[in-house]
Amino acid sequence: MRRIAADADFRAGFAEMVPACIGLVPFGLVCGVGAAAAGASPLAALGLSAIVFSGAAQILAVQLLAAGAPLAVIVMTCFVAGLRFVIYSAAMAPYVRPLPPRWQKGLAFLLTDQAFAASVRRLSAGGNPHAAGMHFLGGGFALWAWWQVTNMAGYFAGNVIPASWSLDFAVPLCFIALVAPHMRTAPTIGAALVAGCAVIALSALPMRLNLIVAGTLGIVAGTLADFARERWTRR
Amino acid sequence: MDTTLKLWAVIAIVGALNYASRLSFIAIFARRRVPVLLERAFRYVPAAMLTALVVPMVAFAPEATGNADVPRILAAAIAGVVAFHTRSTLRTIAAGMVALWLLQWALGRIG
Repeated sequence: MRRIAADADFRAGFAEMVPACIGLVPFGLVCGVGAAAAGASPLAALGLSAIVFSGAAQILAVQLLAAGAPLAVIVMTCFVAGLRFVIYSAAMAPYVRPLPPRWQKGLAFLLTDQAFAASVRRLSAGGNPHAAGMHFLGGGFALWAWWQVTNMAGYFAGNVIPASWSLDFAVPLCFIALVAPHMRTAPTIGAALVAGCAVIALSALPMRLNLIVAGTLGIVAGTLADFARERWTRR
Repeated sequence: MDTTLKLWAVIAIVGALNYASRLSFIAIFARRRVPVLLERAFRYVPAAMLTALVVPMVAFAPEATGNADVPRILAAAIAGVVAFHTRSTLRTIAAGMVALWLLQWALGRIG
């Protein structure tokens, strides 16, 4: 453990995640407030953020719990919202292949929207897989540790922030900061446009299925546009 | 079922399912090559998935009245431009929050 913490790439990954961590403060607070409002004990609130480790799933879980939904409905809804991790897992797979299986299992636990978006560019740039893996572990660990702190702060003291401040808006802003810099090629912009329109058009689907369906449609659109562009430039 | 017990059941089951989702293809592709077509499609995962995640959060107010929330949409557009040019998480959040507060104040005065 001490050897990992002393690794230069682990430390670099940890340090580079600090701005994203500050951005996640309102998100963590919102999750903690939700857990308290649903009547969770402090230990259960901590278990939720430490084990499930997904803001979207946590918010859905405590909202449905507070509304008295059956266990099966809560579990299914959170599972469907977490299906995007399957796609992240697939996209990460080529880069983490050279790493030992034990590492892969650790990386998988720390796979979140932020960690994925922050590391996919570095991983795809190639280079030493061990260094890239350490970098991901450092960033993922920073996110995990900070997530527990902000969730607990929200649980015990989140209500002191008035709703009129609209702090929850910092949650989409975190994602905008991750996605907007990608918008530099036509297929990428196409993928985002299709996904964004589809998620609204399909918002009547149950259990947030619109998220995974729209995301998949966007990926297909981007890939098709990529092939079309290649054909175009070859001619 | 009492709330705490139900929540622990949710934590155990959703925790296991989410971990299975996160590990799924990392484990599958540990032993075989990733198809070329898929590797190409993976380039568009961040743009498509993160956009699908963010658009509903921006377009509708948290009260979920079903109406489009104009200050949020405009503030998000401003934040997007800032993020595109600066690539900075903190600047994006600062610009977006300030834009939202100003727009809510301004539109509140008009409306």
